[in-house]
Amino acid sequence: MEPQLSWYLALSAVLFTIGVTGVIIKRNVIAMFMCIELMLNAVNLTFVAFSSFFHDVTGQLFVFIVMTVAAAEAAVGLGIIIAIFRNRETLDVDEASILKL
Amino acid sequence: METAIDIGLKLVAITVAFTVVLLIVAYTVLAERRVLGFIQGRLGPNRVGPGGLLQPFADLLKFILKEDIVPDKSTRFVYVLAPIVATMAALMTMIVYPFGPDTRIPFTDISLPLTIARLDVGLLYVLGVTSVGVYGIMLAGWSSNNKYSLMGGLRASAQMISYELALGLSLIGVILLAGSLDLGTIVERQSGWHGARWFIFFHPLGFVIYMIAAIAETNRVPFDLPEAETELVAGFHTEYSAMKFALFFLAEYINMFTVSMLATTLFLGGWNVPFAEDIFGRGTFLFGLVSAIGFILKVIFFLFLYIWLRGTLPRFRFDQLMNFGWKILLPFALFSIFLTATLIFLFPSL
Amino acid sequence: MTVLLFILFAGMAIGCALAVVAQRNPLYSAISLIGVFISLACLYVMLAAPFIAAVQVIVYAGAIMVLVVFVIMLLNVEEEERRRPRLKFLVPAAVVLSAVLIAEIAFILVTVQESRVTPVSDSSSVGLTHSVGSALFTKYLLPFEITSILILMAIVGAMTLARRGGLLSPTARIVPGATQIPLSLIDPTVGHESTLAVEAETTQEAARLLGVDRVLERPKQE
Repeated sequence: MEPQLSWYLALSAVLFTIGVTGVIIKRNVIAMFMCIELMLNAVNLTFVAFSSFFHDVTGQLFVFIVMTVAAAEAAVGLGIIIAIFRNRETLDVDEASILKL
Repeated sequence: METAIDIGLKLVAITVAFTVVLLIVAYTVLAERRVLGFIQGRLGPNRVGPGGLLQPFADLLKFILKEDIVPDKSTRFVYVLAPIVATMAALMTMIVYPFGPDTRIPFTDISLPLTIARLDVGLLYVLGVTSVGVYGIMLAGWSSNNKYSLMGGLRASAQMISYELALGLSLIGVILLAGSLDLGTIVERQSGWHGARWFIFFHPLGFVIYMIAAIAETNRVPFDLPEAETELVAGFHTEYSAMKFALFFLAEYINMFTVSMLATTLFLGGWNVPFAEDIFGRGTFLFGLVSAIGFILKVIFFLFLYIWLRGTLPRFRFDQLMNFGWKILLPFALFSIFLTATLIFLFPSL
Repeated sequence: MTVLLFILFAGMAIGCALAVVAQRNPLYSAISLIGVFISLACLYVMLAAPFIAAVQVIVYAGAIMVLVVFVIMLLNVEEEERRRPRLKFLVPAAVVLSAVLIAEIAFILVTVQESRVTPVSDSSSVGLTHSVGSALFTKYLLPFEITSILILMAIVGAMTLARRGGLLSPTARIVPGATQIPLSLIDPTVGHESTLAVEAETTQEAARLLGVDRVLERPKQE
């Protein structure tokens, strides 16, 4: 009995849902960012599972590109977070929700 | 059923490797103290046992029996997690190194590969685990709730992630020469020219860059400002005592050992001893033994180099260190890839 | 055997993911997220994709999360405090939505089971470095090059965002080397709220700007 494709897809769905829940619930902007990374990883798992079960390397290349984009997004996103922190002295998205400083 | 036997053999191999590594590292600490002493014109510790050979056990006893202090205001979970992460990341790299060729055990027909795990992406695995080892230092600096620890921890981890880039780039030349990421294949590709076709002759600039980046990665002199603050003010392991400090200490020396083994495997031909194959023949027990001893001797040479540098060079200031890593070492590493690629392109028959 | 490993790694991934969401201290969330990444890397190895597993550890766990933990430590982020949810219907809505999710997962588990796909065997070369590399450089070269330009854009963007450019605290200390000295240190008539700054490249220049490179002449007493 080997792990089936559906098991990997189910795991990916659960991880994605946990990520979405985190983005909705969390108030700290860095924690929200981490939940977005969790969602990206759930999608990566789907890609790799399909690549493995359909014997095609394209899925893994997608994952490679997704990881690169996630790294670029992390750099710029954290720069934005630091800039917001310098201006508003808080990392709470509820308090930073209006454009007025 | 044979999976159970395989797993059992692997567990035995891992235990043996673990014990051997710990012993070698303990005696490296002693060797450092003695050799450093000789460089500085004094004797090192030589009273415990003949010539000081039981000193590591005395130190171990001291570390076990010391009082274990946990600072009151520190985050306790992260404080305990940090030395564990550092030591685990240091030890996990041991499994991919080829200590010798396939050796036939005497009086039997079993041919034993002297590698614990032969991964297709062995070199990437080593780089990945070294990247995870940075967390031990960062979390230690932060969780001690001490501003000197925090500064020391942040500086040490900034230094480590900066020099990881130059380290990885200098290894690309080796991958180009070998055509594979598997460490066993890399060593086998260096067995031409009667066992002397080492990659250091084809990629010398990469070797120099690798050694410099490796010394920076392991926080050794001349790159040990984050630790030398310990001598002046404090470092990331200021608030650690007894066994947790011993784990950090151990992790540093195991990292040194790992990096020396990687240098031997990639640049000095691993277990290839010149003319050993002609004398003993491939696959025999004596060939395996001589190769393994040759490997250990090359690693010991690198460890001696580390200790020699510690006794000789002054240390970099932190901004000089970061300047050097990003503005000088990284462009040279890129240039070394270009040089090696040109060499391979022009002389494909080498 | 592989089923046990799958259950182990999947359990670790889900457990650490729940910890990411449930923890209030962002540093603990970050550590749990590293746990998720490492368990996902183990799952990739099980799916015969060792190259992607190694790249996952190097890029995600070793670089992105180091950056996140650095930011958390530098900004000294504190724990979130609990607050009452203002919308009363949130809890029943959550229950309904998780029931929908479980129904969808059951649907996947039943239907995808029937399509006969087999996992990749040990002797195939789909996930090895060679096949990934050759596809990346021949068939998918354009995305690869565009990704490199994307990374260049990210580097320039991050440096621009993180540049201090004049907003300097008046208590900035001088570090030998290239640094910015606030004008209030050099010119005492400028108040501490001034945000103008002066750049010094070397220690000598900083000393000259501060006026400490000249030997002071002691006023003769009596």
